[in-house]
Amino acid sequence: MPKIIYVDPDGTRHVVDAPDGTSLMQAAVANGVEGVLGECGGSAMCATCHVYVDPADGGRLPELGADEDEMLDSTASPRTTASRLSCQLTASEDLDGLVVRLPEEQI
Amino acid sequence: MSTGSAMSTGSAMSTPSATLGATVELARLWSDPYPIYRELRRREPVAWVPAANRYLVARHRDVVALERDPETFSAAERDSLMIRVMGHTMIRKDGAAHARERAAAEPPMRPRVVANHWTTLFQRTADELVDGLYDRGEADLLRDFAGPYAARNLGLVLGLPDAAPADLQEWSQAMMDATGNYVDDPTVWRRSQTAAQQVDDAIDDVLGHLRRRPDESVISAMLHATDPLSVEEIRANVKVIIGGGLNEPRDSLAVGAWALLTHPEQRAAVEADPSLWRRAFEETVRWVSPIGMYPRQTTREVVLGGTRIEAGARIGVLIGSANRDETVFADPDRFDLHRKPNSHVAFGGGPHFCLGSWLARSQVSQVAWPTLFRRLPGLQLAPEPEVELGGWVFRGVLNLPVRWTP
Repeated sequence: MPKIIYVDPDGTRHVVDAPDGTSLMQAAVANGVEGVLGECGGSAMCATCHVYVDPADGGRLPELGADEDEMLDSTASPRTTASRLSCQLTASEDLDGLVVRLPEEQI
Repeated sequence: MSTGSAMSTGSAMSTPSATLGATVELARLWSDPYPIYRELRRREPVAWVPAANRYLVARHRDVVALERDPETFSAAERDSLMIRVMGHTMIRKDGAAHARERAAAEPPMRPRVVANHWTTLFQRTADELVDGLYDRGEADLLRDFAGPYAARNLGLVLGLPDAAPADLQEWSQAMMDATGNYVDDPTVWRRSQTAAQQVDDAIDDVLGHLRRRPDESVISAMLHATDPLSVEEIRANVKVIIGGGLNEPRDSLAVGAWALLTHPEQRAAVEADPSLWRRAFEETVRWVSPIGMYPRQTTREVVLGGTRIEAGARIGVLIGSANRDETVFADPDRFDLHRKPNSHVAFGGGPHFCLGSWLARSQVSQVAWPTLFRRLPGLQLAPEPEVELGGWVFRGVLNLPVRWTP
């Protein structure tokens, strides 16, 4: 099963087994990673599952979708070139070992 | 009826069951729910409350947990008075049936169209209202600004630009009163039937035009969606948006203005740094959540917060309590816009996450507050009458007397 590493702003690491096909938001929520809220349940409407993916890893990810791009303009913590919505990223073997950094706040 | 409190987990417990939930009175919740919520969180976090005919869920973590399980905690409440008043709206549907209607209504309320289209119109509404008040040097900001402002903006967003703000406010109040008409007062039913008929008439007046000429409005979006909604579905969903989309921006606007007027150092901070307006908004809806309770119904037996709840039980999700949970928010009764993080649940969660959240943020924190505090010199609370608050299902200030120096 792919492993995803969520890193809190204070450096705490959460290594999570993310079943193939689940979103990185769902995997975080299901494993008690509190820095991801995912309020709207994954419909790209709330901007509370914002994460940062190191640019070096960016090539493993799908392109930004239009809804995702729109929501990233409304995040509580600053948008950067590393910003993604974790509800729009689906776990697979390609993402095994991916490091996602969590923002200071989601609301 | 099981109260379940004897099965509660955690350190807090071991008073005999039923004591707390059975003593909760709706009149006391209405006047000030927060001391009662504090006790519920401590002693009976999932409490059977006969006065409300529901289990009330008081803790933040239990509210979050149930919002993440919509299959168990259904929005499709049986014998819903809302359905009697408004027809079968998306807010009382689950799963694919809900998703279809939501997808049709959502595009005009997403952040980009809010930023690029609606915010300019909201600014015009705010400026016209301030122009009309300015020379008086005093006003009740709830009655004279927040109410008509939220109503006018709602009419624009829906696609009913000719509806008078006073009519929209009457329709909203009449329908909301009827959704809570458990005592079966015939006057309340008649008033809501009149309102519902007038809403249907107002929709009929615009349908032909919007069919031919799509625009940015919600009714237009529902008509022209990939999977368009029927006229009956449009009527029901416009009613629920009128019922549920007016008092929340009105009340958050007024409560937040009151909070800033009574916390001078925080007011100075937002006036100096406009990026803090949004923070003030999030803190306002946490501190006095405009929707303090919403209903759910269990589809199976379930254990929540250590309490066993039977299948088919009615649940009251206490947003107003979850947002004052001391295990999540330090000093939770204090208004503090610098609170960080501020993981409130004022917009609900899951598939029914507030459709109007981005509209509300724009209307209230990007437009209304900056406009009022900038354009009304020396804005301050009037010495009397005293500001009063009320409500628990919906909560806000009941008046907001202010003055300024024209």
